[in-house]
Amino acid sequence: MPDRVVVTGFGAVTPLGLDAEDTWRNLVAGVSGVDYISLFDTTDFKVKIGAEVRDFNPIDYMDPATARHTDRFAQFALAASLQAIESAALRIDESNRYEVGILVGSGVGGLDSLTQQFRNLSARGPTRVSPYLVPMMIADAASAQVSIRTGIRGPNFSLISACATGTDVIGIAYKMVRWGEVKAIVVGGADAAVTPIGLAGFAQAGALSRNSEPKRASRPFDKERDGFVVGEGGAALILESLDYARARGANILAEIVGYGATSDAYHVTAPLESGEAAAKAIELALAGIDRDQVGYINAHGTSTPLNDASETRAIKKAFGEKAYRIPVSSVKSMLGHMMGAAGTIEAITCCQVINKSVIPPTINWEHPDPECDLDYVPNTARKAEVNIAISNSFGFGGHNAVIAVGRYHHK
Amino acid sequence: MNALDEVKKALRKVNPGLDDGKIVPGALLKEDLDVDSLDLVEVAMALEDIYSLTLDEDEMDGIKTVGDIVALIEARLKVKSA
Repeated sequence: MPDRVVVTGFGAVTPLGLDAEDTWRNLVAGVSGVDYISLFDTTDFKVKIGAEVRDFNPIDYMDPATARHTDRFAQFALAASLQAIESAALRIDESNRYEVGILVGSGVGGLDSLTQQFRNLSARGPTRVSPYLVPMMIADAASAQVSIRTGIRGPNFSLISACATGTDVIGIAYKMVRWGEVKAIVVGGADAAVTPIGLAGFAQAGALSRNSEPKRASRPFDKERDGFVVGEGGAALILESLDYARARGANILAEIVGYGATSDAYHVTAPLESGEAAAKAIELALAGIDRDQVGYINAHGTSTPLNDASETRAIKKAFGEKAYRIPVSSVKSMLGHMMGAAGTIEAITCCQVINKSVIPPTINWEHPDPECDLDYVPNTARKAEVNIAISNSFGFGGHNAVIAVGRYHHK
Repeated sequence: MNALDEVKKALRKVNPGLDDGKIVPGALLKEDLDVDSLDLVEVAMALEDIYSLTLDEDEMDGIKTVGDIVALIEARLKVKSA
């Protein structure tokens, strides 16, 4: 018999706050975390805006030597994971260290570390490359840091599915708990792609908004949307089997009730226009669940012309006429696109929606688009009792991942 | 600056949290200062830059203490000036 899988804690470092609570408050208030980029000089860039994490001090979470030898993305991941472990009151000791796992993903890994060391290589030669380059750059560095810091010795790895990473990690972690491979798991996503090479790469792919007003640039489902805003940050949750959570008296925040993943088999950046494969992922996540129960859809909603239209089609394909009655919102309108952390913070958002009975809005929604004709909870948060929420994430390469989060019922 | 001071500076660059008072010639790198093999490569790189010399991996292999690094640097400087 598979175990029920519950959420018992979360943590986040985002452009809207240095923890999950602050982030939530700002999301509900409709605050934009987008601004002019301050991390580097954007003089030569067409795109000058991003959603940066502000005032993050890694020393609050790790010693100076670790901070110096850890890429910003892994610092975010470690901070969010430690917050999650603390909020779940999960104690790691000899009795459970091999029964707890870690799965922290990243879309691009230590991009900035690689760039800096490549600069050393070109300017001064191979003997000037840091011995820490590889452990800083590899995408599983975040997962490794969490283990080193916490003493967790169960299964520990990372996975990558571009911008779907943050949802796929939760889906796979859910399965690991469900089938008894671990009793509990720290699951997270993190990225720090607001770097010169990151910004240039996404801009050259035509994916980024050219809007010069930062706060108005991310406008998912609005007719005048013109691309996403690159963001950064980290988010993490603690998932555990219901039995384990009960046995240790944990505070249960929500239940993960489904996961679906498919691929478009179509294009490296563009989504499948019909939304067919994405709709299939939604259906798989809701297998065995009455679709009438779904009271909220946290959209991938990147604000690119293609995503938002094809995602709308996918939702309609999966829900039929009911799609028009389900509130859909994109927190990327406020957080920008946190890349590998996006799906993870959005899963946390779904838990918060269920617990606090409020749906954060899609801000900057001003001009209706006939191709995007659902209820996007425009501009102001809305009170709603939600029992089941789903979160969609889609990634470059055609990855589609959807998780379903349910209100926890003791039964 | 003498060699010990430069070695101290290099160690503190690699680990900004190191207590200056603990960096004495007799201090064991790994046991006393938590300086591992990767850190040692960075320390060597910093010293190579300061003294414009190249330290081979073989030379670094036997290094166990702060004093070992200082001795290595001083020996190399002597060869250089001779």
